[in-house]
Amino acid sequence: MAQIEQSDKGGKKKKGAQKKMSIHVDFTPMVDMNMLLITFFMLCTTMIKSQTLQISLPTNEKLEQQDMSKAKESEAITLIVDTERNDNGDIRKDEEGKPMNIVYYYEGQAQIDTVSGASNIKKETFIGNDGTVQRGIRKILHDRNKQVLAKIDVLKEQWRNRELHPNKDLNDSIYQARAKEYRNDSTLTRPIVVIKATPGASWESLISALDEMQINHISRYQIDNMNRTDSLMIDGYNRLNK
Amino acid sequence: MGKVKIKRKSTLIDMTAMSDVTVLLLTFFMLTSTFLQKEPVTVITPSSVSEIKVPVANVATILISPEGKVFLSITGDAEADTKDTWGSEAIRAEILKNAVAEYNRLHPSNPVNLTEQDVAVFSKINMFGVPFKALPEFLRKSQTEQDKIVSDMTRADVGIPLDGNRDLSKPNEFQIWMRAIYSSSNDNLQSMMKKGEGIAVKADHGTPYERVHNVLDNLQTLKMNRFSLMTALKTEQD
Repeated sequence: MAQIEQSDKGGKKKKGAQKKMSIHVDFTPMVDMNMLLITFFMLCTTMIKSQTLQISLPTNEKLEQQDMSKAKESEAITLIVDTERNDNGDIRKDEEGKPMNIVYYYEGQAQIDTVSGASNIKKETFIGNDGTVQRGIRKILHDRNKQVLAKIDVLKEQWRNRELHPNKDLNDSIYQARAKEYRNDSTLTRPIVVIKATPGASWESLISALDEMQINHISRYQIDNMNRTDSLMIDGYNRLNK
Repeated sequence: MGKVKIKRKSTLIDMTAMSDVTVLLLTFFMLTSTFLQKEPVTVITPSSVSEIKVPVANVATILISPEGKVFLSITGDAEADTKDTWGSEAIRAEILKNAVAEYNRLHPSNPVNLTEQDVAVFSKINMFGVPFKALPEFLRKSQTEQDKIVSDMTRADVGIPLDGNRDLSKPNEFQIWMRAIYSSSNDNLQSMMKKGEGIAVKADHGTPYERVHNVLDNLQTLKMNRFSLMTALKTEQD
């Protein structure tokens, strides 16, 4: 473990000179122990803290018809998320191994021809961005919220260059405050999104839909329950587009 | 011919530097990471771009297993050394007593009786999920047996029941628990729940919405309509 060595070089030393001692401590067991401890910490702890999406839902109390604020038809867009499942109820995956989450959407009021099943519903997927180009449902939501996003893009550029404030923290907080202002600016055309989910839709698909709201800076959205018309529309769509 | 003398070299390697490195690494891990909490099921949460972190103290976590079983975890104040703060264990014990009292008031015919010992055992459990009726028997089992029970999703007596949620005069067990948590003596927990940060819903990414909705619907009935959904961080540009 530890040893003390005397250095003597041929006995040429003068009498009375102090003997030089060098102490060697073997640190190998110490390293071993430390490695074990590191392994323990790596296995039993986590570095990542979960993030949260904060939402508020309406209460279950029945509202009077006149109390309900009706969304303007031109602003309303309804998303219905769904997940493709096989016969066992397992989620189907695409070639890349991603779960097949789909989203049906319609703009304005639901319009359905009860005989043929034709309706104004369309189908999209969550495929995110390709570089800087939005695809899938993100493109549709992006286009609906264009005015807000254009303002926020300018703001983001200023924020990147620290033009809002030289101090980093203040720069961030000014950016957040201004972005919130733009999101809630009633002079701009902003969509109202109603998110619905089929019973079989995966939790991930609903979170993706909520996430799109954050990405596209949409301030007005709500989660609602499916009604009969919605399921008829999806059935009709799938029948017509086999 | 003289013999070739092979020089003897010492094989000792100085491990001091290595030791320094490992100690530094160890310190880093100890300071930055938090211990994994024991959960009956491991769920993979879906990812989002949200950057709001889950609070560490004063939060009630609702875990929904892919089978739709519900578990609860309660954390109290982080610093529980003063009189006005409530540590996790103290708050759990109080909530358990209140919830059981409420259950017994609603079901006078077969009440649940817990001893002080049971309450002490309960307060040490991070995440629980058994019906009230099974609680005394469950708490008297050994820890390994308890773990085995709660991680077996096929059992009928695992998970907090939440059927029939519309009538608040006859609340289901989940509602009894959530009310007990909300009305506990820890005011910080209550204010966190009001803000929506104190209730965290955690579900696996593949869980059908139907099952999660069941829980959300119960929360809506309880008028706890602000809450947070736990997600992992998504690494995506914009």
